[in-house]
Amino acid sequence: MIDKFLLAYRSIRERRARSILTVLGIAVGIAAIVALMSVGYGMEEAITGELTGMADMISVMPGKITGHTYVELGSFTDRDVKDLQRISGIKDITAMTYDAAEVEYRNKRAPVFVLGGNAKELGSFYVEPVGIKEGRWLRENDFKGCVIGDRVANDFFDDVIHVNDKLIINGEKFIVVGIFEKASTLYASDVDPHIFLTLHAAKEALQTNEIKYIMVQVYNIDEAEGTAEEIEERINDNHGLDDFANAMTMGSMIEQIGDVFNIIRGVLVGIAAIALVVASIGIMNTMLMSVMERTHEIGVMKAIGAKSSDVLSLFLLESSMVSLVGGVVGCVLGAVAAKVISFGAGTALGIEFGAVVKPEVLLGGMAVAMVVGVLSGFYPARKASRMSPVEAVRYE
Amino acid sequence: MIRTENLTKVYRMGEVEVQALREVNLEIQDGEFIAIIGPSGSGKSTLLNMIGCLDTPTSGAVFIDGIDTGKLSENGLAEIRREKIGFIFQQFNLVHTLNALENVALPMFFAGVKRETRLKRAEELLANVGLGNRIYHKPSEMSGGEQQRVAIARALSNDPEIVIGDEPTGNVDTKTGNTIMDILEGLNKEGRTVIVVTHDAEIAARAGRTKRMRDGRVLD
Repeated sequence: MIDKFLLAYRSIRERRARSILTVLGIAVGIAAIVALMSVGYGMEEAITGELTGMADMISVMPGKITGHTYVELGSFTDRDVKDLQRISGIKDITAMTYDAAEVEYRNKRAPVFVLGGNAKELGSFYVEPVGIKEGRWLRENDFKGCVIGDRVANDFFDDVIHVNDKLIINGEKFIVVGIFEKASTLYASDVDPHIFLTLHAAKEALQTNEIKYIMVQVYNIDEAEGTAEEIEERINDNHGLDDFANAMTMGSMIEQIGDVFNIIRGVLVGIAAIALVVASIGIMNTMLMSVMERTHEIGVMKAIGAKSSDVLSLFLLESSMVSLVGGVVGCVLGAVAAKVISFGAGTALGIEFGAVVKPEVLLGGMAVAMVVGVLSGFYPARKASRMSPVEAVRYE
Repeated sequence: MIRTENLTKVYRMGEVEVQALREVNLEIQDGEFIAIIGPSGSGKSTLLNMIGCLDTPTSGAVFIDGIDTGKLSENGLAEIRREKIGFIFQQFNLVHTLNALENVALPMFFAGVKRETRLKRAEELLANVGLGNRIYHKPSEMSGGEQQRVAIARALSNDPEIVIGDEPTGNVDTKTGNTIMDILEGLNKEGRTVIVVTHDAEIAARAGRTKRMRDGRVLD
């Protein structure tokens, strides 16, 4: 057996350039599969991982989601908030209002989203997971204080904003008391571009009494679904509508995201499969060329007593060795590419996620490489083994 | 003993039929040294390929030690080629990727001989044809005469009863040709049947018996 390996190895080495190209062909196909799958898993894990940390949250919105669009039907009232406080199993409730406002800093103006809520509850949602970089979080009596997200501080105005700087929001002066850290993926869109005020201050600055968003934290994650239904019922009763309120648990969001990622992965695997088909045509081509080129050699081997099965196994061994190397190279390239892609995408999009290279994906990649190698090597190998010795020897 | 019985071979080249062998009847005794001569196209190489089990007859039969080779399976034919026959070609036909030692050991590899045994015997065989110091050279690094001696060593690797040479001196100079004929003569003296095809009368004269061929027939 060792000798067959040696013979196969010799003929692979003899046609070094072409063997390397074939190995690369397979490697690229396998690398595509491994990289795409790993990036997909990485994205999914980054998002569901953080969502899982928020599994005790229910977000309540005054509107309904049909398909992928959200239609706002109005706003909540103070009575809605009071009613929710009577539901058992709820730990915290934050009523929030938000709107775009015109903000001025050192004579530069920009539209910024302003978000207001009860200082304590709002703080419990955002301060712990994101962290305050400079200054402190809001207090209930901070009528003229505000806390700003990372992008507001660094990107929105010509000058970088620091604690104790003054902002003018819709004509009213506020002092920056705190600045958030740059938020991770999940919180980035909630925190980085926003200015946070106490509910009272926000209502005044935005000149509104509307509550547009309620966040609820429950004690027991298992009861979250039930609590969400109860929330919807209470608020719907208040407004006399069937589906005014939309209470969504993080658990159901995780499920939805899982579905989306299954579709994404399916598409990625499809693309990779195309790459692999191309690669396997490449192997078959190489092996067929190899058979043609070595017709004479095959004839000689048969003339000195090689059985058809000897020739068949030699050629199959050759193509499986090529694909084994291709598979290994592909797995390594794929894993590296996945890390690079996820780092690049993460940096470009300002989010944080790492590719997840699962051992089963690597094993699967190797298996696919071997199967493709043996299958595409089989036809040329059989062709080689069936040659008549006298005709093959005569072939030059 | 080798015996052919009304051995006929027809090649079809498109529309044209070529009668390469016409009802050849020939007996070759064990231990004989026979030369078959004739002009090119006379069918002598075809006859040799039939005897060497490289090709199958259109009609008629080849018997080797009483076995009708036409009735053997492909593996059966491969076994005869491997165990009973050593074939020497005009073009040497060595495997380019392998060195001299490995080329000689190759038939033993197909016969399932153990690696150490194989390499030891290959070394001895190469020493016997005067190439003991060239065993790691590739065919491309050797002269025609050296390559043909490697080919002879390879033909002998499974200790065959029959050695077949298809113009074995055709591609080497006269001096080397004589050396090769010396080796073949020696093999015959060891008791092997040696069959050589040539169109060189001088070479043929060294055989014990000569048969002439013309137009696919063996002349008496």
